[in-house]
Amino acid sequence: MKNLISLSAMCCALATSAFAQEKTLTISTYSFAQDAYKAALYDPFEAICDCNLVIETGNSVERMSKIEANAADPVIDMAVISSQDALALSRKDLLSPLDLAQLSNHSKLYPAAQDPIGGNMAVGYTFYASSIVYRTDLVEINSWADLLDDKLAGNVSLPNITGTQGPLTLMMLNKAAGNEGTDFTSVISDIGTHADDIVTFYSRSSELAQLMNQEEVIAAPVGRFAWSRFKSSPLPFAWAEPKEGQAGGMNVMIMTKGNGNEELAHMFMNYWLSTEVQTRVAEALIDSPANSEVVVSDEVADNLTYGADLINSLSILSPAGIIDNREAWVEQWNTEVIR
Amino acid sequence: MFSSTREGLALALPAAIFALLLFILPVGILLSEAFQSDDGWTLKGYIDFFSKPLNQKVFLRTLKLGVLVAGTAAIIGYAAAFSITNLSPKARGRVFGLVILPLMISPVARTYAWIVILGRTGIVNDTIVGLGLSDTPIRLLFTETAVFLGLLQLFMPLMIISLLSAMENIPRDVIPAARVLGANWFQVFFKVILPLTKEGLVVGGTLVFTGALTAYITPAILGGSKVLMLETLLYQRVNVANDFVSASVIAMILIVMSFTANLLLKRIATARK
Repeated sequence: MKNLISLSAMCCALATSAFAQEKTLTISTYSFAQDAYKAALYDPFEAICDCNLVIETGNSVERMSKIEANAADPVIDMAVISSQDALALSRKDLLSPLDLAQLSNHSKLYPAAQDPIGGNMAVGYTFYASSIVYRTDLVEINSWADLLDDKLAGNVSLPNITGTQGPLTLMMLNKAAGNEGTDFTSVISDIGTHADDIVTFYSRSSELAQLMNQEEVIAAPVGRFAWSRFKSSPLPFAWAEPKEGQAGGMNVMIMTKGNGNEELAHMFMNYWLSTEVQTRVAEALIDSPANSEVVVSDEVADNLTYGADLINSLSILSPAGIIDNREAWVEQWNTEVIR
Repeated sequence: MFSSTREGLALALPAAIFALLLFILPVGILLSEAFQSDDGWTLKGYIDFFSKPLNQKVFLRTLKLGVLVAGTAAIIGYAAAFSITNLSPKARGRVFGLVILPLMISPVARTYAWIVILGRTGIVNDTIVGLGLSDTPIRLLFTETAVFLGLLQLFMPLMIISLLSAMENIPRDVIPAARVLGANWFQVFFKVILPLTKEGLVVGGTLVFTGALTAYITPAILGGSKVLMLETLLYQRVNVANDFVSASVIAMILIVMSFTANLLLKRIATARK
């Protein structure tokens, strides 16, 4: 009995000691490219931080719900998410402002990524351009307005309004019609008029890649992050450079309020934003860099949203504009487009 | 069978607890959200849902496709089951194996096959253009027709199995007797076969109708967002809008539709007695 008690005590001591040494950082992220992230980011960070990373993946809605449901006692320390979703969480007072003194790589970021939602509540870690992929042997694309032109009737797909690409497409179609701002009423009505000419409203870039490779669709707006799916196709696809320019978006890092793990979260964010890691992530074609000091080869750059000229030229829809108008857009979309 | 009722109950208890804790309770909680608001119990969720034209259209489309798929499956299923019943036992076993074979293949794989078949460069369009029926490929994917075909193919085996099982119980001499007494095939079907197989029709009809109402993969892949059905709308409400109240309303509507279909089919079957 004495031996048993001693053994139990020793086990408890070892376990306590192990818990004391093992710090854990819980990250919420998109589910794509996790193997590549592990090699380029998670494993190298674990090697230097003396900590464990717990990676939770899922779509934005699931992950935001989890953050909101556990607001009193956060189970997520930091998350990567779209800038508009970050603003939505910030407005619900679920985020903690970032301490820039702990982010030494912050000044290396492109200006648009440094404080994308205000109040230092988030920091951009990747940009993506959005333009039109098209079949060069069948059609020529010079403007976003070409998407609704008769020459593409029955051969074009648009992103669903509920995804990140949907509002960007509306913004550029609005721009092509000579309008600015976030009043997309006339554009949505215009799409509604042409609804029968649109093959489908896709939700995921993988779905679009399949449709275009099966020749169901010959032109569609898509994010640059999906370009490699088209580039490797035997069909002649090209990335359009419409006269209205390209749209753009950004994903950001955020930290949950009161998670108690702020120091480690800042350390991880700073590591991710470093030139070394941003270069590694870019060369693995996972994400386009937000760090302006990253230098990659032309071949790698061709697959990314890369370079100050391109990033500064992107038309970026303000996160507040999206959140404030999304409900009205979806309502009109459901009435006039989906019908 | 058991020495006391208590023994029987004790044996059923683990399964009952499992069903109660892991199915009835969570589903009940989820569905109860559709009747709750800040002011207490309400039908506001349902009123809001049916007040939107898109939701009305999606509801009617789901109902229409469910009825069409179940009806068509019944017509084709009766013909198939009747011919299978008349095969030799050996051939019957082989054909029955072919009928249930699709059930062993993932619905995703079966549905993706339709993309290949119905696509612009698929076999159907190749034939249509090849025969000169159209100069250009016609749009088949992302239409109600595509969803209908996908659902029919998905659930047809369930109808055939149900009807086959019912038909095998029909006494062998009944149909020849009806024919000898002067009944034509139309009369044989409605006066003899249908009344004797109505239980199979109720089971098959409920399975196919309920399946067509609740299938997600097939409408999502073949219909996309242009042919929304209640199940794809439910997914959108949860995964895009994080709107569990609307999702609960849709789930409750689907459950009510399934139970109503079952009751209606039973009623029709009983009325024919």
